[in-house]
Amino acid sequence: MADATLLNVVLFLPVAGIVLLLLVPARSEGAIRWVTFWVMVVQFVATALLYVHYDPAVAGLQFETRLPWIPAWGVYYQIGLDGYNILLVLLTAFLGPLVVAGAFTAITKDVKLFYAMVFLIQFAMLGTFVAQDLFVFYLFWETMLIPMFLIIGIWGGERRIYATIKFFLYTAFGSILMLAAVIYLVYSLQATTGVTSFAFADLQHAQLPLPVQLVLLSAFGLSFAIKVPIVPLHTWLPDAHVEAPTAGSVILAGVLLKMGTYGFMKLGFPLFPDATRYLSPLIMTLAVVSIIYGACLALVQNDIKKIIAYSSISHLGYVMLGLISLDLIGIQGAIIQMVSHGLTAAGLFLMVGMIYERCHTRELSAYGGLARILPVYSVFFMILTLASIGLPTTSGFTGEFLVLLGAFKASWPLHLDGDTYPLVLSASAVLGVVLGALYMLRFAQSFLFGAAKVPHDPVADLDVREKLILAAIVAAVFALGLYPAEPLRKTELAAKEFQQRVSASPLPGSTR
Amino acid sequence: MSWLTFLIALTPENLLLAGIIVLIGVEVFARRAQGALAISLCAVAAAAAAAALLGSGGLTATPFPGHFSVDPSWSLAKALVLALALPVLLLSHDDFAEDGQFHILVLSSLYGFCLLLSADSFLTLFLGLEIMALPVYVLVLLAFKRPESPEAALKYLVLGGTATAMFLMGVSLLYGGSGTLAISVFAAGLRSADTMAVAGVTLILLAFFLKAAIVPFHAWAPDAYEGASIPVTAYMATIIKAGVLLAALRLFGTEVVSRPTDDLLAFLPLVSIVWGNLAAMRQKSFRRMIAYSSIAHAGYLFYAFLGDGPGRFQAVLFYLLAYGLMNLLAFASLPRGDDDATRDRLENMKGMFQRNPYGALMIGMAMLSLAGIPPFPGFVAKFLIFRNVMTAGYTAYAVLGLVGSYLGIYFYLRVIQFMFMTAPTPATSPQTSRGLALGASLICMVTALLVAIFPGWVIGLF
Repeated sequence: MADATLLNVVLFLPVAGIVLLLLVPARSEGAIRWVTFWVMVVQFVATALLYVHYDPAVAGLQFETRLPWIPAWGVYYQIGLDGYNILLVLLTAFLGPLVVAGAFTAITKDVKLFYAMVFLIQFAMLGTFVAQDLFVFYLFWETMLIPMFLIIGIWGGERRIYATIKFFLYTAFGSILMLAAVIYLVYSLQATTGVTSFAFADLQHAQLPLPVQLVLLSAFGLSFAIKVPIVPLHTWLPDAHVEAPTAGSVILAGVLLKMGTYGFMKLGFPLFPDATRYLSPLIMTLAVVSIIYGACLALVQNDIKKIIAYSSISHLGYVMLGLISLDLIGIQGAIIQMVSHGLTAAGLFLMVGMIYERCHTRELSAYGGLARILPVYSVFFMILTLASIGLPTTSGFTGEFLVLLGAFKASWPLHLDGDTYPLVLSASAVLGVVLGALYMLRFAQSFLFGAAKVPHDPVADLDVREKLILAAIVAAVFALGLYPAEPLRKTELAAKEFQQRVSASPLPGSTR
Repeated sequence: MSWLTFLIALTPENLLLAGIIVLIGVEVFARRAQGALAISLCAVAAAAAAAALLGSGGLTATPFPGHFSVDPSWSLAKALVLALALPVLLLSHDDFAEDGQFHILVLSSLYGFCLLLSADSFLTLFLGLEIMALPVYVLVLLAFKRPESPEAALKYLVLGGTATAMFLMGVSLLYGGSGTLAISVFAAGLRSADTMAVAGVTLILLAFFLKAAIVPFHAWAPDAYEGASIPVTAYMATIIKAGVLLAALRLFGTEVVSRPTDDLLAFLPLVSIVWGNLAAMRQKSFRRMIAYSSIAHAGYLFYAFLGDGPGRFQAVLFYLLAYGLMNLLAFASLPRGDDDATRDRLENMKGMFQRNPYGALMIGMAMLSLAGIPPFPGFVAKFLIFRNVMTAGYTAYAVLGLVGSYLGIYFYLRVIQFMFMTAPTPATSPQTSRGLALGASLICMVTALLVAIFPGWVIGLF
């Protein structure tokens, strides 16, 4: 039954999960945990089925549903899978059960509300990915804020209220400007073509002059850039990550940050191709600055959550670089890098959460020589560290290598034409890889090796539940590193479409 | 015009009138106050149903030509706002129990409201406005539990009187220029360049700004909202605001606003949005905060008048529905306690989720919806308004208004922060909303969810 119904089932399973949770009394916390877990597992299995049946040879939407929702404005409930979102949907569904299982022992307060919020954010994230109508997209996009706000604010650390309000206000500011741009975009589509529609496919036909495109891209881009986050709009991220409970950090790093890059890929760049090309030196610069600046900050942190938080900024810089290179290899690398970072960052945050549960501190200097005390933990940690650095055979290598390849391939001809700047930027991005190895190895060295010390003695090694969670992530990391051909094939047509759309605008009325 | 049509066209008003008469009868002849709530509920529900039937039946009639007319879309608006009055009556039970006076006053005020929505002449419009507003001055004072109440009522009365005076002055200017009291003179005045007409239009518009609490005419609202009891505040924030806005809508008709009125119509509401949202941030009392929030919301509502004619009615009505439902939901779910002043303090909401999870979730939903965060109905309402403003070509005002609405997010979040993320202060006693107030909140929640899931259907109604 791999048809459109199944995608709807996947999308609405979390809502069904919330209804199920309402039926379970708040006191039976065990039941609440397992109900949530199994609903998430079912969701993942169904998504995997969709992934298997997704036909890489067909361009455009598959498993599409399109129903009138607000007919008067041309708003349709339109969802579907395509090469842009297929991997991210799979990633979201894959992380779902792991997040839930990871929080089994960590969350003991208001358990019911917590899992309801996890369901809600899962619903909103999946909805954002599969939405093919701008109105529906915006609804889901904004809805994501509410559960995250509560997850950080209720179950977070000491400065959680400051962190969560900062998170909300930062992202909401971007969203407000995006809303203005959405309204303007739909209005201009109506004015130029007479069609009232929010469908992504229709919006690409809006004929906008370059100045308007620039303004709209800035509004959309600001919202997306805050989510990514691109330096200098990143300051909410370390606070949110540090104060969030493990599950919150995992969702944030695993999926939520990809919303920004996905937004650029699906909406920002293709809707405003002329402006994108016009601004591409700036976007590329910001991407490289994010790579290097994030890496440098990660190098000097003493809070282990902050190291991974800043490394996220650096890793997502590669995604931006790959997208803006407008080279097929770079774009595909960017998509793989999104998934890869989702896996490694989620894994590392889970591991930090596990050690924090045992020792109640995140000070890097408080730890040392864990390899001797916690051998299993250390093995998993080392694998994820190497994946994050981008060692061959892991997913991190596939992503970063393709991005850099694409960036060089795109900038070399420009260099021959006399524009050396992109080549310099691409070369600087390589520096990020070196810095990445530096900060992750510094982290692993003082964490795993040297004189053994833990703030809290004795410390138990991983239990079965934790081993299974990490094994699943590590398996996915290797799968994507060793056999990237299948995911690459499924995203290839979308990457081509993106490239063609942005690099050669078919618009007759556009300048440049 | 046959007598039958005449009667039918006036059914909603007559039902309310019947309710008032029965209530007075009970008050005079019964020994103990009894059944007042049931009577007024029945009267309002019947009036709402009658108005809805008139609307869906498509009756167009003019029982009093030139003064009072009925047409389907306005009947629907009547039905909508009358239906919003039902939760108000339900949640009044905790404060007024079976107090006949309260119900008589509310029904009279609703009668005035119905009159407004059928007014064709300034005479009827004026009568409607006054019949709607006068009982509220008394309501603010009724059952006063704190020393601020008389002061609040007096402020409200004096400023309401000022608004009335401005309105009458404007009307007389328009009358002087045209020789007729028909409200279409107002729309004609919007087009006209004649100084007298412009002055008349401006005065009437300012009177409406005062009644709707638009900055700089807003100072009465926080005091009045804080001084009144919860049901009366809920009534003022939803029904009265709806009445004033719909009356303004009736005056504007589908007339497109042009210079210089549009600047007035855009600038003061914009200031209201910004100031209301900023001032709400520092409030310590829940009702004062809602008062400032309602100042900002009045700003959004008047923004809708910038949009083109036909969309304006839709936008205002949908916004009033979403806004009214959410305010009522919040008021119905508020913690109950014996001391009116303490239960009003925002501090008192700390840790509310632990004591009363349902109430906290409901207030949280109301706050997010008022902030315009999807997926709640407040978002679609706001979207509708800003879409109209932008389509009408006021791009800069739309963007500024949206940024202004961003300022409002913080104080709504603060309420949620208090309820969910802060430990309860030890002094607070366990309180839960119960009985009829709980029923009122359930009705509001279910309706709001339906509006959120099927906004297309609701918009299609108007």
